[in-house]
Amino acid sequence: MFLSEITAGAKIREEEMIVCVAVVGHQNNPLYIQSFTDADDALKLHHIVHCSLDVVDERVNNPKKSGPTLNETFLGLLYPTENYKVYGYLTNTKVKFILVTTDLDVRDGDVRNFFRRFHAAYVDAVSNPFHVPGKKITSRTFADRVSTIVQSFGLSSAV
Amino acid sequence: MEEYPEELRSPPVALVALVGCPEQHGAITTHLLSQQHPINTLALPDFSKLSHLLHRPPSPSSSPAGFLKRDWLVKHRTKIPAVVAALFSWDHVSGDPAQWVQVCSDLDDLKAAIRPRNTKLLLLVVVGQSDDISEDRLLALRKRAEVDSKYLLLFNPDSSQLNNSLQRLSASFAELETTFYREEGRRIKARIEKKNFPSPDLQVRYCFKVAVYAEFRRDWAEALRFYEDAYHALREMVATSTRLPPIQRLFEIKIVAEHLHFKICTLLLHGGKLREAITWFRQHVVSYKSLVGDPNVIFLHWEWLSRQFLVFAELLDSSSATLPSTSSLPLGTADQPLTEWEFHPAYYYQSAAKYLKEKRSALELTVSNSKTFSENDDGSAESVVPSVYIGQFARLLEQGDDSAMQSITDDEYTRYAIAEGKRFQDSFEIIALLKKSNEIYSNLKVQRMGSLCAFQIAREYFSLGDFNNAKQQFDGVANLYRQEGWVTLLWEVLGYLRECSRKQGAVKEFVEFSLEMAALPVSNVDSIQSTKCGPGGPASLEQREMIHREIFALISGEARPISINGVDDLKVTGDNTLHLEIDLVSPLRSVLLASVAFHEQIIKSGVSSLITLSLLSQLPLSIEIDQLEVQFNQSQCNFIIMNAQKHPLEAVQSEQHDHRMESAPSLALTTNKWLRLTYDIKSEQSGKLECISIIAKMGPHFTICCRAESPASMDDLPLWKFEDRVESFPTKDPALSFSGQKAAQVEEPDPQVDVTLGASGPALVGERFLLPVTIASRDHAIYAGEMKINLVDVRGGGLFSPRESEPFSLDTHHVELLGIVGPEGEDESQRASDKIMKIQQSFGLVSVPFLNIGESWSCKLEIMWHRPKPIMLFVSLGYSPNSNESNAQKVNIHKTLQIEGKNAVLISQHFMLPFCRVSLLLSKIKPVPDSNQFSSLPMHESTVLVVSAKNCSEVTLQLLSMAIEVDDGGTEKSCSIQQGDEDLGTAVLVPGEDFKKVFTVIPQLDSSKLRLGMVNLKWKRHCGIDDRSGLTVTGSEVVTKHELPDVHVELSPIVVTLECPPYAILGEPFMHHVKIRNQTELLQEVKFSLADSQSFVLSGSHSDTVFVLPKSEHVLNYKVVPLSSGLQQLPRISLTSVRYSARFQPSIAASNVFVFPSKPHCKMTGITDKRLEESTVAD
Repeated sequence: MFLSEITAGAKIREEEMIVCVAVVGHQNNPLYIQSFTDADDALKLHHIVHCSLDVVDERVNNPKKSGPTLNETFLGLLYPTENYKVYGYLTNTKVKFILVTTDLDVRDGDVRNFFRRFHAAYVDAVSNPFHVPGKKITSRTFADRVSTIVQSFGLSSAV
Repeated sequence: MEEYPEELRSPPVALVALVGCPEQHGAITTHLLSQQHPINTLALPDFSKLSHLLHRPPSPSSSPAGFLKRDWLVKHRTKIPAVVAALFSWDHVSGDPAQWVQVCSDLDDLKAAIRPRNTKLLLLVVVGQSDDISEDRLLALRKRAEVDSKYLLLFNPDSSQLNNSLQRLSASFAELETTFYREEGRRIKARIEKKNFPSPDLQVRYCFKVAVYAEFRRDWAEALRFYEDAYHALREMVATSTRLPPIQRLFEIKIVAEHLHFKICTLLLHGGKLREAITWFRQHVVSYKSLVGDPNVIFLHWEWLSRQFLVFAELLDSSSATLPSTSSLPLGTADQPLTEWEFHPAYYYQSAAKYLKEKRSALELTVSNSKTFSENDDGSAESVVPSVYIGQFARLLEQGDDSAMQSITDDEYTRYAIAEGKRFQDSFEIIALLKKSNEIYSNLKVQRMGSLCAFQIAREYFSLGDFNNAKQQFDGVANLYRQEGWVTLLWEVLGYLRECSRKQGAVKEFVEFSLEMAALPVSNVDSIQSTKCGPGGPASLEQREMIHREIFALISGEARPISINGVDDLKVTGDNTLHLEIDLVSPLRSVLLASVAFHEQIIKSGVSSLITLSLLSQLPLSIEIDQLEVQFNQSQCNFIIMNAQKHPLEAVQSEQHDHRMESAPSLALTTNKWLRLTYDIKSEQSGKLECISIIAKMGPHFTICCRAESPASMDDLPLWKFEDRVESFPTKDPALSFSGQKAAQVEEPDPQVDVTLGASGPALVGERFLLPVTIASRDHAIYAGEMKINLVDVRGGGLFSPRESEPFSLDTHHVELLGIVGPEGEDESQRASDKIMKIQQSFGLVSVPFLNIGESWSCKLEIMWHRPKPIMLFVSLGYSPNSNESNAQKVNIHKTLQIEGKNAVLISQHFMLPFCRVSLLLSKIKPVPDSNQFSSLPMHESTVLVVSAKNCSEVTLQLLSMAIEVDDGGTEKSCSIQQGDEDLGTAVLVPGEDFKKVFTVIPQLDSSKLRLGMVNLKWKRHCGIDDRSGLTVTGSEVVTKHELPDVHVELSPIVVTLECPPYAILGEPFMHHVKIRNQTELLQEVKFSLADSQSFVLSGSHSDTVFVLPKSEHVLNYKVVPLSSGLQQLPRISLTSVRYSARFQPSIAASNVFVFPSKPHCKMTGITDKRLEESTVAD
């Protein structure tokens, strides 16, 4: 019985997995992109992240359309696909964070929480005096921290 | 959407039938169709047709074999009328009994025919204009037909009444058809409510029918509700229905669901409910997406899903014109957020393409699995046709004329479906869908989505083998990814492009794409180890190195890599050389980047300077360059650097080469490490020296031409700039990296020739000012020398100002270059033959003869000033120091000199009357406004004119002559001017000194404006003591002209002359006469009064009035005794001419007399001489 609970939990975890996170710079260039999936669809995820920038542009350029999200860093759901949900976040330095999840029933609160933690990790990474602004983030610490955040995503609600 | 039958796509239109009186049908049909809610009409000429039409086949009592009959909807739209209008002619109705009986029997047949379908009946009696209508007959007719009185209408086809009749007719039709459809709907609704149906399948059918009836009467809300009910009922039957074998059952449900969904979405969009439609669509897809069905026919599921997206996209596309712009729509609610793209059909087209691709791969899989199927295909699939129920298939058994439907098994159905599926070329469909999507996205300026579509299109083309189209699409996509630095995506696209060019045998493109891939910033950190990658392989460092080796093996021609085998066109050989150009925007910049910096920005011609070439490559492995050619805009500076390891310099030098050869110990380029080479550079030609390009030669037949870039203005490598890499400076000196330029200015050699402008002092207006120019060669011989002379106004602008009109100057230039006088003794004829000499007013060009080193040549410029004006003289000498090169570099020397032009003399004049003589000039007393600027002179009286010339220059002048040149314009001599000797001898005028000459003028003509003439002063520079000025000025005389002002001449009526001795002696009386001369023909009354003076006592009348006779003189005599000595004022007389009421008085100077204290002891003769002189000269 104990075992079955664990497997059930694992199943839930698998269902609500974050498959990709990305940091995108000013010129819409990828600064950090990491996928967390065993499947061979990393390229597809790159395409999804890239296409989601169109929505970010659209929302940033037409702020009145997305009235409630005015002055908010969280951009909400960006992009509908059958298997994924794409969320966006825009820092005040116009760096974009993109999250791709397979969880089709995700709560906004969880996503917001995720982005908040991700933003903190990003700020720490770029505050490194050896980091040149505008360059890709190659910090291993940042990568580790991101994977920790990704793993703990949705745990509060799932458990 | 086009594959749906028309009756499903368009909203249903009510149907009515017209029977009898066929001649009226046309008008009625047209009218009913043109209504706001159009009604279709079945026109039946006679009553027998109708019963055939309305014939109802006996309904099978068993449970239905399907949900919806394929022809039910079309039947209701085209065959079963809601209303039948029976048209009777009044003649028949009111005619003889036989006719009436015929009418009655027709009516009875009609009633019998329509009763089973509850069709409504409308009676139309066609009446003529003159017909007398009898109510009884009509009543009888109505009774017979059992219709309400309002459904019996009189129809008058006369043009005046026709419109009215048609109006009433259409209103009744509308009322009746609504009633019919409502009743029908209600009847079926009742069955649903009572759950009065044998099979659950019927619930779907009933709901569908109710909805269609509601649509017929345009009750959209009810239609929508019942369609939704039908849809939900259907969805629940997925698990329960067992009527058909599982594959066919699921397929039927999906097809019916598709129909219902289509109706619902159409109604929602028709009602402007865009958000609801999208939400509904989403639910539709979600609820059916998991119903994959049997694995063998999974492709049917994808095809169905793809069609859902396509149809919805088309619905959105066609309705978006009637909807408000999506931007104003609020985005989804919190629980069902809708995103931007869901409002655009592009997204659905794209998804349709995606599922169609799924279908294709599923179908391919099925086909490959079911080889056995096709082998033992007995052709049974051929006779399978759609059955009478929507979504079902059956085998058509034909036996002679009879045909029967036989249900088929799932196996048969699968075979049929596979056979059908194989018939279609999905790739073209996919491309068409993606193109549509791409087009919409690009219209919306959504470029990344559009690129993804383009990428998918290109992949389709690629898999179809259409490499041209594929390449075109890939190129556009690659540009976006390059621009935004999405390396992994770019890698994939480039992999495809590389494969395209390989397949096409385009070696150059193949090498370009390969090199670009090899130089992409893909490291092991973010490499993607994926098996689903394109033909470029996974993006990784190993793959880059692999490509690199492959390409360099290809270009070196050593070994043929395995991967290129099989394509024979790809080779780089002697007659197939490969030349790549890398410019400033080329993506190949990261393959080879050349930065060139001159160490000095300005270099002297002929002096060697340093230049540093720096090369950088991001290729994963180091490369060896055989030879570098550096090209400049001055081709003689080009040089070649040889790789000493490959070609020892000695060996090369034996070859014939135009250019300088250099040798470098190594020309190996390591990844991300600058190769810096510094060489001497020397240019003989002045101007800009710019490095254009650097051509690297690798292998026997491969060259890369790389545009040189300045380190100061070099852009970062577009993709590598985001990478965290070691960045170093292109040159060792960091300052040079920030400021270095690929171009330098070559200065011309320093002139070794002196040009001296030997002017001294200012020039004087009017003279021919000579300015000596000396050209002395120091270290250069002068060949083909040319001297340019320019005169420029110091204040800028030309020397000519058209606004100042010059009354006296003939030429327009204030300062003029008159000529250039060569050195003495030069032969004029020789000079004219071989020398250029051009003189314009402010510009001169003169050629300078050959001068050997140490020689000198001089000439003089003749410049004339017409106006005092400072000018700047520019003299530039251009020459070439060498004789042999005709086009050789010229050396230029520029000299400037500012020269002041000044007026030499200033001439002024004034008029004086003779001593002690006063003329009454009326114009002086009563000045006329326009003549007051002139001095007035009395006619026939001599007036003294004093002309003074002041030397206002800084040099001493010698005056030669002064004369007044009378203007002899008039025939009559207007005045006579007495002038003394013109020649002034040697009058020397030092600076600031005045010279005066006295003339006497006697006007002869009464004129208000008399021209006196022009003063001509001849002078020259005085060269008595210092000889210096003699150098610059030839001893020529200069004439300065001065125009005398015009004068006003008038006859003086009265002239008063005071006469007194030249001096007086204290205490000795003398006579003082005042002569009043009347010059007129009139008697003049003159009042006079004498003012007493302290210094004199006098006898004679103080004041009186005298009459002076015409042309006579009256003399007043006074005896005066001086009382004090010195210059004393005589008692002043003042006169008043009564006639002219003009008072005048001699000047004070005229009434002064010197009183000696005692008689002077000198000879009287001397005094009289002196007195004479005084009267002429003294002021």
